[in-house]
Amino acid sequence: MTGSGNRAWALAGLAVVAAVGLAVGQAAGQGNLTQLAAAAKQEGQLTVIALPRDWCGYGEVIDGFKKKYGLKVNELNPDAGSGDEIEAIKANKDNKGPQAPDVIDVGLSFGPSAKKDGLIQPYKVSTWSTIPNDAKDSEGYWYGDYYGVLAFQVNADIVKQTPQDWADLLKDNYKNGVALAGDPRASNQAIQGVYAAGLALAGGNAEKASEAGLKFFADLNKAGNFVPVIGKVASLAQGATPIIIRWDYNALADRDTLKGNPKVEVVVPKNGVVAGVYVQAISAYAPHPNAAKLWMEHLYSDEGQLAWLKGYCHPIRFQDLVKSQKVPAELLAKLPPADAYAKAVFPTLDQQNKAKDVITKQWDAVVGANVK
Amino acid sequence: MKRKMPGGWLVLLLGALYFLVPLLGTFEFSLRYRREGYSVEAYRIVLADPRFQATFGYSTILALCTIVVGVLLVVPTAYWIQLKLPKLRPLVEFVTLLPLVIPAIVLVFGYLRMYNSSSWIPLTGSERTTDLLLTCSYVALALPYMYRAVDTGLRAIDVRTLTEAAQSLGASWATILARVILPNVRVAVLSGAFLTFAIVIGEFTMASLLDRPAFGPYLQLIGANRAYEPSALAIITFAITWACMGLIQLSGRRAGGPPPVGAR
Amino acid sequence: MPSSVLRTTATTGLPPPSRISWAWVGVVPFFVFALMFLILPTSFLAIGAFQDAAGRLTLQNVLDLFQPTILASYAISLKVSGASAIGGALLGFFLAYAAIAGGLPQWVRPTLLTFSGVASNFAGVPLAFAFLATLGRTGLVTAFLIQAFGFNLYRAGFNLLSFWGLALTYMYFQIPLMVLIMAPAIDGLRREWREAAQNLGASAWEYWRYVALPVLWPSLLGTTLLLFANAFGAIATAYALTGSSLNIVTILLYAQIRGDVLHNQNLGYALALGMILITGLSNTAYIGLRGRAERWLR
Repeated sequence: MTGSGNRAWALAGLAVVAAVGLAVGQAAGQGNLTQLAAAAKQEGQLTVIALPRDWCGYGEVIDGFKKKYGLKVNELNPDAGSGDEIEAIKANKDNKGPQAPDVIDVGLSFGPSAKKDGLIQPYKVSTWSTIPNDAKDSEGYWYGDYYGVLAFQVNADIVKQTPQDWADLLKDNYKNGVALAGDPRASNQAIQGVYAAGLALAGGNAEKASEAGLKFFADLNKAGNFVPVIGKVASLAQGATPIIIRWDYNALADRDTLKGNPKVEVVVPKNGVVAGVYVQAISAYAPHPNAAKLWMEHLYSDEGQLAWLKGYCHPIRFQDLVKSQKVPAELLAKLPPADAYAKAVFPTLDQQNKAKDVITKQWDAVVGANVK
Repeated sequence: MKRKMPGGWLVLLLGALYFLVPLLGTFEFSLRYRREGYSVEAYRIVLADPRFQATFGYSTILALCTIVVGVLLVVPTAYWIQLKLPKLRPLVEFVTLLPLVIPAIVLVFGYLRMYNSSSWIPLTGSERTTDLLLTCSYVALALPYMYRAVDTGLRAIDVRTLTEAAQSLGASWATILARVILPNVRVAVLSGAFLTFAIVIGEFTMASLLDRPAFGPYLQLIGANRAYEPSALAIITFAITWACMGLIQLSGRRAGGPPPVGAR
Repeated sequence: MPSSVLRTTATTGLPPPSRISWAWVGVVPFFVFALMFLILPTSFLAIGAFQDAAGRLTLQNVLDLFQPTILASYAISLKVSGASAIGGALLGFFLAYAAIAGGLPQWVRPTLLTFSGVASNFAGVPLAFAFLATLGRTGLVTAFLIQAFGFNLYRAGFNLLSFWGLALTYMYFQIPLMVLIMAPAIDGLRREWREAAQNLGASAWEYWRYVALPVLWPSLLGTTLLLFANAFGAIATAYALTGSSLNIVTILLYAQIRGDVLHNQNLGYALALGMILITGLSNTAYIGLRGRAERWLR
C-alpha cells in the first residue's frame, strides 16, 4: 500500500473513533443524567424557596419535575425575597431537615455576593455553553435563568386610554393612577422601574438614568398621578392602582388570572425598556445536592426553558432555542411582539449597583411622596 | 347592677359601624368574580380546595395545643409574681413584651440555628418534634397577650385572701391553682385563649420557614397572585374563626362552673 | 376566721430562706421557656447589631442609627404607635364598658368578646385591602357618599394613605385587643363599691375619679403599653397600605433583613435593637406611673 493509502486509512480510522467517541460521550451524557436521577431518587426530595406558583409558571415547572423524576418537592416560603433566601441558607447551615433550601433563585446582584460568602456550590449544566456569557459566573457558581422587561399593567376597564410610553404617564387623565409593584427603597422590581423611566427620559444615557428616574417620579407625584400603594393584582382589579409598573411576565400572568374581569392590557413602553435577570444557584449546604443538580438539569433542558416561556418569562437560552427553531409558534404568539424586546437593555452589575445606591438613598428626599 | 350607661347603645352602634363596614367592603369585592354581576364563584373555588380543610384543621389543633401550654405556663407565673415576687414583675413584663418588637423572622432563624438537626436539641429532626418547636414558638408569640390578660384578671380578684383561705383549708399549691385561682380568672384566660387562637390561625412566617402545613402559608399562597379569592378567603376565615371562638367560649363557660366571685 | 389566720401564720414559721427558694421555683419554668425560645434565639440579633458583614465587632451600625432618615422613621413609628394606642385604649375601654357594665342585653357581651378575638388579629394585607376597598378613592363608602349625598370625601381633605389613615386602620386591631384585656378588669368593679359611693352622695363623675379609675389605672396603663408595643412592631398592615411613602422603622428593618437590594442585615439588627430599647424605656415609664397609682391600693 502507498503512503497516501495508509494516511487515508488512518484518517478513516480516526473518523470512526471520533464518531464512536461522540456516540459514547452522548450515551455517557445520557447515562450521567440517569445516574443523577437515580442518586436524586435516593435522596427522595428537593427543597426550593421563594417560588410562587404563578411566577414564570413555576407551578407547572415544579409539577413537571415531580412527575418526570418521581421526587417530592418542598416549597418553602413563596413570599420570600432574595434577602430571605440568603438568610435561609445561612440559618440552615447545620440543618439537614426539610427547612434547608437546596436551590435558590435570586436577583443578579445576589449571585456574586453569595459566592463571596461561600454559600453556594458550582455546577455546570449540560447545556452550559448555550447560556450567554454575561449572564453566568465563569466558574459555574451562579447562572442566569430567565429575564423579563418592565411593562405597564393597565386596568382597561378604568383606564380608557392606555399609555404607550413613560412620558404619557404624566398626562392629566392618569390622576391617582400610577403605582410601583414594590418599595423603591428595597424592591428590585421597583428600583428597576425608576431606572427604566429615567433611561427613557435621559435618551438611553445610563449614567444619568437614576437621577432622571427620580425626577420623573417627583414630577409624577407633584402632578398627583402617583399612588404610593404597592400595586398587586387585587388593588389593580379593585381600582386603587389602575396602572402598575411591573415585570411583563407577572403582568401577563395576572391578565390570565383575572380572565377578563377586569380587562387587562400589558404594554411594553416605547422607550426605556429595561430587562431584569434572575440567577439560579445550588446551596453549599444543600441536604440533597443530587436532587438540586437534577433540578438544574431540568430547568436548563429545552423542556424546562419552554415551561418558563409558557409562564411568559424569557428563558436565558431563548435566542439559542429560537435559532434551533424549538419554540412553538403558538407560544411566541402569546407574548408581546418581539420588536418590543429588540430595544431591551440589560443593565450590568455595576450599573445596577450604582442605580440601587442612588435611588434607595434619594427616593425620600427627591420624590417626597412621604407620608408625614 | 348594670346601670344603663347613657351612651351605651350609641357607642355600640358606632363600634359596629367601624368594624363591620370594612368587612362589607371586602365582601362586596369578593362577589365581583364574574363580570356580569354578583356571584359566589370565588367562595366556591376557595371552599372546594382540599388544602383549605387540611391546613385549617392542622392550625386549629396547633392553636388548641398552644392555648393549653400557654395557660399552663402563664397562669402559675403571673400568680407567683403577684403573690410572692412583686419585685420581679418589671422584668417579667419586659420579657413578655419582647415578642412584639422582635421580628418573627429573626426568631425563626434563631430557632433554626439553635435547634436544627445537628444541634444538641434536634427539634427539626422529625415532623412531630418540629410541631413541638412550632407550638413553643407560637406560645412565645402569644405570650404578651396571654400574660397581660391573665395579669389583668388576677388583679381584679383578691389573690392573697383566696390563697390564704385555701391554704387554711389545707389545699396544696396545685389544688389552689386549679380549683381556686383558675376558675376565678376564667374570663381573662378566655380572652387570652381567643387572642392566641387568632394569632396561630393567621401566622405565616414561622410555619412557612419551619415547613409545616399550616393555614397561614395557605392563605399566602392563595392571596399572592389572585384578586377575588383572597377577599373571599378573608371573609370565610373571619366567619370560621369567629365560630371557633364561640365554641371555645361555650366550653369555657361549662368548664368554669358557676360565675366567679365578685365579677358582676 | 381569726384563729385559722393565726394558725396559718404560726405554721409558716419556716426560716425565710427556704420560703424564698420555694417562690423562685415557681417562676423557673417561665424563665427557662423565655431563655430557650425568646432570649437565646435573639442573641444573634444582639450580637449581629455590633458586627459588620464580615463578622468583626463594630459600632458603625449603632452610629448609622443616627442618620436623619432613620431618626425620622423612629419618630413616625412612635407617633403612629402612640396615636393608635391612645385612641384604641380610649375607644376600646368605652366599648368594653358599654358592653359589660352598661346595661345592654345579655347577648352583646359574648358577641363583642368573640368578635374582638377575631378582629384582634385581622391585620396585614387583608386589613389594608379592606380599608382600601371601603375608604379608598374607589372604595364602597367613598362611592356611596358621592352618589347618595354628593359629598366627596377626598375633596374634603380626607386621605386614607396618610398618617391618620394608617392610625385609623391600626385601630381595627387595637380596639379589640383593649376590649378583650380590659373585660376581666371591668368585671372586677364590684357593684358594692358603686352602691357605697352613691350612698355617700357621690356623683357618677366622683365615683369614677375616686373609686373606679384608681382601681383600673394599672390595668389601663399596662394595656395601653401593650397596644403601643403592638403597633410599634407591626409591619404588614403599614407596608400593604402606604408601603413606599411611609417611613416607619419596621419597614426599614425588613428592607435590610429581607429586601431584594439593600441587605445590610447588621443595620437591620441594630434597628431591631433600637426598637427593643424603646420598648424597654416605655416599660420603665409605665412601671413608674403605675407605682405611683398603686399607692392607692392595699
